Amino acid sequence: MKLSSLFSKVKGSILLLLGVASLAVSLDASAIPVFARQTGFKCVACHVGGEYPQLTSLGRYFKLTGYTQGDAKDFWNLTTNIDRPPVAIMLQSARQYYANNKAQQNGTNPTSAYDMQVVSIFAGGHITDNIGAFAQWTGNKYDGNTTAGNQYGGGASGSDNTEFRYANHVVTKDADWIFGSYLNNRITMSDVWNTTENWNSQWIGYFNGGSAQAPTAFINGGASQHSVIGLGAYVFKDKTWYAEVAAYKSQTHGLFSIMTQNSSAGPTLLDTSPYFKLAYNKEWGPHNLELGVHGMVGYAHNTGVGLAYSDWTGSVSTYRDVAFEAQYQYILDPHYFSAHFRYTHENASNNADQIGASAANPTNILNETWADITYIYKAQYGAMLFYNGARGTNDAVLNPLSATGSPDWDSWNPSIFWAPYQNIRIGYTYTFYTKMAGSSSASVGGTSAFTGLSPHDFNTGMLYASLVY
Amino acid sequence: MKNISKILTLSAMALALGACSNIEQSRNLDNEKVTGNTLAQQVCSTCHGLNGQSINPTFPNLAAQSKDYLSAEMTEFKEHSRRDPAAQAFMWGIARNFTDKQIAELSEYFSKQASPVNKTYSDPALLPVGKKIFEEGALENGVPGCNGCHGVNAEGLGPIPRLAGQHADYLYKQLMIFGSDYDEVETKHEDNLERGHGAVMEIMAHGLTSQQKLAVATYLQSLK
Repeated sequence: MKLSSLFSKVKGSILLLLGVASLAVSLDASAIPVFARQTGFKCVACHVGGEYPQLTSLGRYFKLTGYTQGDAKDFWNLTTNIDRPPVAIMLQSARQYYANNKAQQNGTNPTSAYDMQVVSIFAGGHITDNIGAFAQWTGNKYDGNTTAGNQYGGGASGSDNTEFRYANHVVTKDADWIFGSYLNNRITMSDVWNTTENWNSQWIGYFNGGSAQAPTAFINGGASQHSVIGLGAYVFKDKTWYAEVAAYKSQTHGLFSIMTQNSSAGPTLLDTSPYFKLAYNKEWGPHNLELGVHGMVGYAHNTGVGLAYSDWTGSVSTYRDVAFEAQYQYILDPHYFSAHFRYTHENASNNADQIGASAANPTNILNETWADITYIYKAQYGAMLFYNGARGTNDAVLNPLSATGSPDWDSWNPSIFWAPYQNIRIGYTYTFYTKMAGSSSASVGGTSAFTGLSPHDFNTGMLYASLVY
Repeated sequence: MKNISKILTLSAMALALGACSNIEQSRNLDNEKVTGNTLAQQVCSTCHGLNGQSINPTFPNLAAQSKDYLSAEMTEFKEHSRRDPAAQAFMWGIARNFTDKQIAELSEYFSKQASPVNKTYSDPALLPVGKKIFEEGALENGVPGCNGCHGVNAEGLGPIPRLAGQHADYLYKQLMIFGSDYDEVETKHEDNLERGHGAVMEIMAHGLTSQQKLAVATYLQSLK
């Protein structure tokens, strides 16, 4: 797309977005989301530069102590606790721009479009002195996994990141212990350092596809999202040493169905699978450093072979994932800086049903890399850069985009934003692809739909305004 | 499958019944029964340190701070008469329901902690400049020495805060706030002050350049 053409399209959208922003600026200053209402903090207290989802040291503590800090009437006197709205809402208003209108991975032909929709509704906070919750309900106007004409198909709404925590903080003269347990619906939802796919910094999403998806390790991919229930326990000693174990399992029916959502991508059922995380955390002056390792062994039924939703009879694929992670933060107003790194190594053993259906090889290796940096000035003006890369075994069935079956991938996502008010963010984000399906320049190849397209033909931009209230 | 569901259900119930009220380890900021000691451990220590010595200079050291000053500031946070950006972002929420008893207990707790030893790097080039301002002032601009009110070792007294060992970044930001409050009153003739009880400090801050503010803040940080 020529720059001049881009600018003329951007102009109209900016007017639209500013209209939304000026409406929102007139809102009451205290009208901020659920946890802020409970704690009385401004966003910047718990989020780096005031921008979710990256957590500061205080934000990590709030989560690790079970979302309990702040004003709360006793659970049993719930009726006296309705002096503030118990839910928060997130709206996103955006216009997307695609570098081409040819078929994407799933056969849709995206067209640049403007949309405004409710992205999420949040509830949660203190339930008792030791128990709290984080509940998110998300609606998707479009679903990247289905098609309708030349657009993505209609989406659905469902339970998003949801967690209940029990936590205790024991302080003695010589030691400081936080220990707790949780029940949640997504592997890595418990993360407090934003080093996992669930909470990494790419917090704003494209509406209508267009952003091609890199091959992801099982632990980072859709299979672990909101179709599982996990029970975990953790300990954090002297704000330095962190250890966590959990077990996850898909819930197709029953009480915990309320915390799960189906995926139109097809049922992947996770049998009881262990997850762990170990981390070292160090704070000095305005600096914070975290180094850690996390991983899981995922036992999955029906991976991509299209069996019925609650059919546990399929043979089992095993995903052994281990990831090394790091976080660095510098937080001292007016400067807010953070950087994250994650390297995930996956050894996948594909089950017999999968061979020929969703994978060619009995085993595949995938090494996935994520890195991001964020700088925010005065909690108002910010820039971010994300990198996502993958290298792994060639598998022509698993990776049909490529003639060779290569999963190799490099994509970059710079963005800039302005937060005129702590509830509002206006920004532009652009994703460009330098390597896709093993190809850097020439035809991506593989299936005929992609013949003649190179990685940069998938580039996508988005101008957006978001509001949380 | 069934077993897992049972285990999950039982675990959830056990968690729910585990502790509905845990007053000794509560982080509830709207329960007058929670003591100052508990609040210090469960809430304040996250940013200010259990011993009143904070790590990130965003948050001031509270150790050995004057009891009267701590009480006055908490009251100002509660009443919103101290309204600098950091006060609004953090302390307005924390202090909004503090009772007089909790404020007294918290002030007692932190005033009794051992004096802070600040290990933050202090630029040696600034120390003699800062020392001179602290002891002799900048008389050419009408600023007397700080030690007259804050004590010969900047230990503070009564409503006058201790400054020794305080983070330079925090002190510098406060001096800048007092300076802008001076401008607010004298130039703009407004009274929308960020630190409304700092009339004396407005004059001091007005008489010091940014570099002098930084020098005296750095010197005070190095004091034990």
